[in-house]
Amino acid sequence: MNSLGFIIIIGIALSGAFLWLQFSGHKLFRTDASFFPIHANDALPTAKHFVYFPQIRQALSAADSRYLRETAPPQVLKKALRERRSVARRFLKGLHEDFSNLAMLGRIVASLSPEISRQQETERLILTLKFQVLYSLVLLRLSAGNLPLEQLGLLTGIVERLATRMDTAMAEISALSAGQYSGGLGA
Amino acid sequence: MNFLETLLLWLTVLSIGVLCGFVFTSKVKRVLPFFAGYCCMLLASAISVWLAYRIFGFRSLSAYYCYWISLLLNAAMRSLAIAELCRYKLRAYPGIWGLGWRVLTGFSILFLLHASFDTWGQPNRLAIYSLTLDRDLDIASVAVLATLLLIHNYYGLSLEPLQRTIAAGICFISGTDIISDTILRTFYTGYLFPFFSANETSLWVALRPYFQRINDLWSTMHAICFLAAIGIWCYALRKPVPARAEAPVLLPVDVYRELSPAINMRLASFNDRLVEILKP
Repeated sequence: MNSLGFIIIIGIALSGAFLWLQFSGHKLFRTDASFFPIHANDALPTAKHFVYFPQIRQALSAADSRYLRETAPPQVLKKALRERRSVARRFLKGLHEDFSNLAMLGRIVASLSPEISRQQETERLILTLKFQVLYSLVLLRLSAGNLPLEQLGLLTGIVERLATRMDTAMAEISALSAGQYSGGLGA
Repeated sequence: MNFLETLLLWLTVLSIGVLCGFVFTSKVKRVLPFFAGYCCMLLASAISVWLAYRIFGFRSLSAYYCYWISLLLNAAMRSLAIAELCRYKLRAYPGIWGLGWRVLTGFSILFLLHASFDTWGQPNRLAIYSLTLDRDLDIASVAVLATLLLIHNYYGLSLEPLQRTIAAGICFISGTDIISDTILRTFYTGYLFPFFSANETSLWVALRPYFQRINDLWSTMHAICFLAAIGIWCYALRKPVPARAEAPVLLPVDVYRELSPAINMRLASFNDRLVEILKP
């Protein structure tokens, strides 16, 4: 490609990116520390999906699969497996939402901080990009049918701990912004 | 000058006059002084070029120099207006601004260096210099504005409608300039290059009609896009500029220091589990 075409493509691509960013319906956060103590439970991100994880863990468990294979007729088994994949897909979506909420919490805290660390911000950006790639791969393998559903059950524990951690963090931020903070925030 | 060129020149001067009227009535200079300065610079340039056409003639060398120098001055003032847009909202968030200004300055320096090197390598002619520099500055403008919006979207902030519309106008004019400058520059440095060379005077007569036709076509396209951008800015300034929003209440610095590593650790453990799942 000659330089004429190359520069024109760069111009169109940059302008397109600008317009997309300008008009894309991105999520805006209330960026003010005074927001935390009043509406912390309603407006801040929480891991909502973990409450269903015991059931999902049961549905995806190896024992459950074994029981189905031994007792259910082939048609029922096929239908059950299809439904289990659908449940797993929804679970992954919930996981994605919880990850996004946690990352968003990190960005809100960063935007409201008088100082931020370049290293921390770069790390979070890389982690987010990495998660997007891994999530797409897991979803792809799940759709292709070559991902053991039992492995997804391993994720439930981490999300559960995460939800608890986020609730604690938000309570601590609320206390901090109200000037009541006395403890540490270590993980 | 033909009828279309005369019409476009008058329309340009008139519309910039209207834009400056909006700039003063909406008191935009209180919040965006460099943008107000850019609008005044546009008016001064348009009047200067018009005077040069009247005094020296549309096809004269003086008018030619006046046009290309005014184009560069406008590009420089537009860069300042973009820097002001970058600073406008982010300075209320000192943490992000501390990181953001470095990223944006890094981008700007990179593109300016590219513009300097690119221009340095061009044949020694004002039109080719100006076109190359203007084109590279336009690329830098759109890239910096896109990065600014990316930072805003990433941190969940939003530019106010006035600033968004002004940025859209700048992006529109820069985007169209990148394309038209590149096409014209390709003609100047290729097919029409003998027209700029003192050694090829025998070809001047043959090339002159082509040179003028391409130049006229480019000027017409440039003027139409410029009028569209002025329309966008006039639309943005139709109402008085609202007062600047109050600065946000910030969190104590310890919250970030303690919470951010904890959040990143959790995010990393998510990824580790996904990697485990993907292992055969």
